[in-house]
Amino acid sequence: MKHFAKSIAIFVLAIASSSAFAATWTGADDLPAQPLSCDATPAPAVARPYDGGAPVNAPSRKGKKLNVVDVPKLIGIGYFNATTKGIAAAAKELGTVKVRTDGPTRANIDEQITFIDNYITSGVDGILFAANDPVAIAPVLKRALSKGINVVGYDADAAPRARQWFVNQAQFNSMAKVLIDTLARETGGRGNFAIVTSTFTTPNQARWIAEMAAYQARCHPQMRWLETVEAQEDNMLSFTQTSTLINKYGDKLSGVMGMTTVATPAAAEAITQAKRCGKVAIVGMATPNAVKPYLNKGCMKSAVLWNPVDLGYAAMYALRAAADGTLRPGSTSLKAGRLGELKVVNGSEILLGAPYVFTKSNVNGFDF
Amino acid sequence: MSNDAAPILARNPLTTELAGAAVTSTPMVSLRAQIGQWRHEFILLGAIAALFIVVGAVNPMFLNSANVTNLFAGNAYIAIAAIGMSMVIICGHIDVSVGALIGVLAMVSGSLAVNGYSPWLAWLIPIMIGVSISAFVGALVAYVRIPSIVVTLGMFSILKGGLITVTGGMWLSGLPADFLIAQYRFFGIPSTVWLMFVLTMLAAMWLHGSFSGRTFYAVGSNAEAAQVIGIRTAPTVVLAFAMHGGFAGIAAVLFATQMQVIQSTVPAGLELTIIAASVVGGVSILGGRGFIVGSTLAAILFAIINSSLIFLNVSAYWLRAVQGLLILVVVLADITQRRQVR
Amino acid sequence: MSTLSIDPRRLLRHETVLVFLLAIALLVLSVQSEHFFTADNLLNQGRLMTEVSLIALAMTFVILTGGIDLSVGSIFGLVAISLGVLWQSLGLPLPMAMIVAVMIGGAAGLLNGLIITRFGVPPLITTLATLMLYRGLAEGISQGRSVRGYPDWFLQLAQGELLHVPNQFWLLCICAVAAAVILGCTAFGRAIYATGANKTAAWFSGIDIRRTQLWIYIASGLLTAMAAIIFVSRVSTTRSDMGTGMELEAITAVVLGGASIFGGHGTVIGTVLGLALMQALKNGLALAGVRGDGTIIVIGLVLIATSLISNSFNRGKS
Repeated sequence: MKHFAKSIAIFVLAIASSSAFAATWTGADDLPAQPLSCDATPAPAVARPYDGGAPVNAPSRKGKKLNVVDVPKLIGIGYFNATTKGIAAAAKELGTVKVRTDGPTRANIDEQITFIDNYITSGVDGILFAANDPVAIAPVLKRALSKGINVVGYDADAAPRARQWFVNQAQFNSMAKVLIDTLARETGGRGNFAIVTSTFTTPNQARWIAEMAAYQARCHPQMRWLETVEAQEDNMLSFTQTSTLINKYGDKLSGVMGMTTVATPAAAEAITQAKRCGKVAIVGMATPNAVKPYLNKGCMKSAVLWNPVDLGYAAMYALRAAADGTLRPGSTSLKAGRLGELKVVNGSEILLGAPYVFTKSNVNGFDF
Repeated sequence: MSNDAAPILARNPLTTELAGAAVTSTPMVSLRAQIGQWRHEFILLGAIAALFIVVGAVNPMFLNSANVTNLFAGNAYIAIAAIGMSMVIICGHIDVSVGALIGVLAMVSGSLAVNGYSPWLAWLIPIMIGVSISAFVGALVAYVRIPSIVVTLGMFSILKGGLITVTGGMWLSGLPADFLIAQYRFFGIPSTVWLMFVLTMLAAMWLHGSFSGRTFYAVGSNAEAAQVIGIRTAPTVVLAFAMHGGFAGIAAVLFATQMQVIQSTVPAGLELTIIAASVVGGVSILGGRGFIVGSTLAAILFAIINSSLIFLNVSAYWLRAVQGLLILVVVLADITQRRQVR
Repeated sequence: MSTLSIDPRRLLRHETVLVFLLAIALLVLSVQSEHFFTADNLLNQGRLMTEVSLIALAMTFVILTGGIDLSVGSIFGLVAISLGVLWQSLGLPLPMAMIVAVMIGGAAGLLNGLIITRFGVPPLITTLATLMLYRGLAEGISQGRSVRGYPDWFLQLAQGELLHVPNQFWLLCICAVAAAVILGCTAFGRAIYATGANKTAAWFSGIDIRRTQLWIYIASGLLTAMAAIIFVSRVSTTRSDMGTGMELEAITAVVLGGASIFGGHGTVIGTVLGLALMQALKNGLALAGVRGDGTIIVIGLVLIATSLISNSFNRGKS
């Protein structure tokens, strides 16, 4: 009995002392945040010299058939199923590209590097990628460039010198602005919100959150950030974490922000099952198919994303243009099929456009 | 799994201990001894109670009925899967593919429902498939004599890859409402909690009360000795695996019906959580009354630990470190308890 | 005495099966893709497989004693983070940071070993708990940050080569030979086999099984730490999620190599062959155009098939 009590006491001590590790979230890459202005003034356009890499001794591929591989962060989630769809559609339109999508089953940088490495060896002409880590992926991409392979990224960038071009869905600060403005609109500009993200080390999510913090401090100072929880890209975990947040804060929670396309619908489901639709706002990134039921029922009012199908589509066109030489250092725009002319910003980024907001009225028109 | 030198001691690789105590199955009669045999479960219960008290004091929202319900109902599927895993471990084997199996069976269940089959079929067929697959694994282990860790490591890969290949990575949505059994309630208590409770009790009673149940212990502790007294070890092992597959199937159905979509990727780390629940729950072949109850308690304890740390505002960066530490504390507490009694 | 340690006939059978399978695999895969069996590709594969191989070498020792170490993936991440933090935040000169980081890996292994030997907690449970603990420490210490900007000489360690062979592959070969020698020719090696085969008998023979076990878990931590540093050098950054899943890969290689999970049987050569077979399949199938999920399935099937074949040869023995 004495030992039983002793073990329980140690256990309790361990729990109690663990709360000494107070919750703070500090962002993950130390880059300065550049919040946009609170009204609709667009960010000033800054011209920058080309900072991408270049393939070494690339053979002339103009007009020739291209063998391309697309290696996203991971396969098996709706978001990358959509980008794959767009890439395949562009390849079909172009008619001169053979493309396949292959990647790891979880967002692991080591596995992704191995995939790319194997495709380099097998002699592809072009590589499309969405990086799990911008620095870790650089050596293998540089190896690809050194073998004369064209390299274009989308969704998640690598170090600029490791790839030729990067198709950016939206600027980080622009995304942050839309997300926070949408949440503010739904919570009346005040209230407490929590964030559900993938992991703290995922570069995109980390930048968005940092930008969101800066923008919210500047333009919606009456909103209060409570905490951020991790949910990997796991459906059940996102659901469980959100349920825990709802239980923890009760009525004090006014909103939840989902930072991945997996987290947002799962959070909406948690709010639905907790019977708090309307009381807790849920805003975040999501593919339309995943949130159709919640938008239609009114539990969710809006989801923010860009069009990942368009993103993949543009990336494929960028790769073709880079291989043909029509897109080269110094170009100011890219002709991307049905998307028209896309602007080049930040030296070697191609901007897809503004974030898109899905609502009840327009969501049924999409299928991805 | 024979060895050249005749084993004096229990050769379960998962619980190798130095002191070679042969399994005694002489019935303990004194009440104190009876209670003493539940010591491990008391530690788990004590830990659970301690958590409720401490966290409830810091943040009373923890004791909310909604939260408590979520804790039990949302994690019941892990406890149920742990029942099956415990059976396999008692027999001296292991299954590291259970997470992938649950992922696959959940997808099967959802696909049946979405394609118009009756909910009963969508619930029962995955269970049958689970039994079949695991029985096959058990046969490979028992008759072909391939170590269980090898077979199940292989199955893990096969199931994981197979799931992606067959689904093409697409998630399943549009599940019909009557299929979502995990969201039903009976007398105000979610069905998952009922299932967890009933299955735990049934399994515990069967394992201790029935002859075939007790053979699991015999086979696990000393297969040669068991064979000498006439127990046929191979069918016993196959039975253990088959039951494990059935429990995994039930867990999969609950997992599939807790939300409106079913993912096409294997839930991350699920097999480790289930194995941890079994072993921390006290599954060991050296004395082990009431162990199934232990694995259920351990599964609940893990879920409560996860939730507690969020309620206690433990920095999200340190969450996992604290989880690991707490589990170590529980395990060490139990081990020192055992040592006292010897 | 010889019944306790290596039974040459039984093991020769399994290694032979492996050699055979490896040869078939190489043949089939080189037919499927012209890029497979080139010096360039094979050497590159040597570079990529070093980290898992080092861990698998250590895992062989652990499994031979009848234990298991599930925390290696987390030690990997912890050491990677430690390297970054020691160098960047604490300002240690990089070579010293590398040494301290390796020592941290050894300390992690030591903790595993102490819990297992002094407290008697079974290895599976211990390393399952430390898997969480060490990963958690990595996440907590790093606070979600990566460390970048390593000097060129450091990056050259794992990205460069010596006489056309990747640097780390030389290291791997040296370690493999050393491991084989220790296991096959020294008293320590014999103690390992004895401990795995029958703890009680080993104890009564005067072997200090606790010290043996302690040392192999420390070795596991040290080799994992070395692998982690090589990986950081190869990808030029540190992340707290590095190494997830590596424990299962290493264990797969070891059991593929014929080691008995109950301890007492197995060789370094077997593990090396197992590693080679796995890498050949992963690489060759990808080059042949098989997608990632297909490769995973094939490796699973090969694992089971190899055991099946090897078992049917050994049926007569037991």
